[in-house]
Amino acid sequence: MGTMALQTKKRSGINWYKMRMHGAALLFVLPALINFAVFRYYPMIWAFRASLWDYSLLGGFRKFVGFDNYVRALTEDKFFWHSLRVTAVFAIGYVPLVVVLALLLAVFASQPYRGMGLIRGFIFVPVVTSYIVVSIVWGMVLNKDVGLLNGFLSTIGLPRMEYLTSIRNALPTLIGISVWKDVGYSMIILVAGLRGIPEDYYDAAHLDGANAWRRFIDVTVPMLRRHLMFVTVISTLFAFQVFVPIYQLTHGGPARATNVAVYYIYQRAFKFGEMGYASALSVILLVILMVVSLGQMRLMRGDDV
Amino acid sequence: MELPATSDSPASTQPQFIESPQTQNDRRKRRIRSVLGFVLRIAIYLLITIVFVAPMFWVLGNSVRSSQSIWGHVYPVSVLTFLPLDQFSIKNYMEALGLTSVGKGLGLDLSRALFISFASAITVVCFSLVSNSCAAYFFARLEFPRKKILLAFVLATMMIPQQVVIVPLFLVVNQLGIINTFWALVVPWFASPFITFALIQFFSEVPKELDEAATLDGANLFKILVNVVIPNSIPGLLTVSLLEFQFVWNEFYWPLIAVTAKDLMPVQVAIASQFTERDPEWGRVFAAMVIASAPVIIIFMSLQRFYYQSAVTSGVKG
Repeated sequence: MGTMALQTKKRSGINWYKMRMHGAALLFVLPALINFAVFRYYPMIWAFRASLWDYSLLGGFRKFVGFDNYVRALTEDKFFWHSLRVTAVFAIGYVPLVVVLALLLAVFASQPYRGMGLIRGFIFVPVVTSYIVVSIVWGMVLNKDVGLLNGFLSTIGLPRMEYLTSIRNALPTLIGISVWKDVGYSMIILVAGLRGIPEDYYDAAHLDGANAWRRFIDVTVPMLRRHLMFVTVISTLFAFQVFVPIYQLTHGGPARATNVAVYYIYQRAFKFGEMGYASALSVILLVILMVVSLGQMRLMRGDDV
Repeated sequence: MELPATSDSPASTQPQFIESPQTQNDRRKRRIRSVLGFVLRIAIYLLITIVFVAPMFWVLGNSVRSSQSIWGHVYPVSVLTFLPLDQFSIKNYMEALGLTSVGKGLGLDLSRALFISFASAITVVCFSLVSNSCAAYFFARLEFPRKKILLAFVLATMMIPQQVVIVPLFLVVNQLGIINTFWALVVPWFASPFITFALIQFFSEVPKELDEAATLDGANLFKILVNVVIPNSIPGLLTVSLLEFQFVWNEFYWPLIAVTAKDLMPVQVAIASQFTERDPEWGRVFAAMVIASAPVIIIFMSLQRFYYQSAVTSGVKG
């Protein structure tokens, strides 16, 4: 900043000049701030407000009901509890699979051999493809009669299986599809982390007589701790928000086996038009998710000491 | 593999050493191990490739076939399962795009949907480049009391799980009266915390001396942004534009509820409603999948490095 200019202005009144500069600066950030306020913060406030009412799109705010929606969700609505359980099972299957596979793939794909860049590309293609395309394609690959996977299983002499239509297999299948879609993102972050580990650490471990496995456990994993933590938190956020494959492939079925929370909220809001109730469910899920992520971060930061 | 092993061993200077059965044994062991490692590596490589690529190739190869041909070749799995050596016709693509009478009769119209997708993605990219650049310039360069609080206000939105609050977002946009219009598809994404954050980092790398020189030349804040900061951050701006384009292109849940009129549906929503495995022409569905993902996959393949960089910078840092 030109000090000369500042001093000449100072005489005519420092506050005016400063305020004008600050006002001008504020103009730059204002459009973005307004957008965040309206489309990111206001919906949460609106959700809380709507959750206290019997609210529908056509009828508007019909009747103030206080916390009735919350009471109903937490004490009467066994389908909501069921959807939370399904979401938890999904997350418990999905998160460790993503983290472990991403780590293994990252270690494999950052070896200094030819073709490793290509394979990183292969693994990353599903990440840039849309979830809906991935879902439709896998729906066809897993088709019981004319799908690619059952064709392959028959070719090598294994029995054909049912995937998305079986109560027992549907949720694990969806977990598998989501892992396939998302693992590349976590892998790339871990590859970047692996690049940051100094070669000397491995040399030192090697001299100490550590074999490949010990080097992995004693050098790689601790050095990647921050990256692993990030990947875990992000994957948990993904897992709690899964929607598209369920919308497209199972509609929450068969027999509610894949009815995750976000899909249940969607049904309540747009199939039954209960916007107030759906808002209450959104608020509950939001709080659960915040508690889970903060807890995870706290837990992993604890390892630090 | 042979060469370094022999030159490593001190065979030429100490001929008696090579006779030692111990060393010979050692070397054989090492060679076996490296051959094993090589074979194992190739096997894992192939396995990963098959798992990630086979479904895509199946879709691509069969998008030019009829259903009879697709279903007839899926068992037993062979080269013909993936490569359409028996049949090649772009009929499926024409129908999916709604360019033939058959496609039109079935209500298929991906051309219109592609237009909406391109229009909305480009609109978002343009607006968000302006608003996020200005915001990033503010945070990276300008003076303002308690700027940190405003930064926290922006970055905290990263933690909001978008799919969870989509019903309330719908209610707000509905209240604004733009639901079921083109604007509903784009306006909520005119600013993005991830892009602001990435641009703050890119802008901070532009030397501050350039700003000061421009100030002495009498440039105002806006001119510094346009003439100094932006020209020096082109790769960064390009990266975030691509990411934003991909985000809007691939978005599904929001456009699904934000627009119900068929002629406003972007391509992802259109394929979900117009093409499913219940369609008797699987080739047509495959063609639709190729159409809906080709733009983003082509962009990705030509600019891989940018993608990885931005995935990492917008994620872990600091």
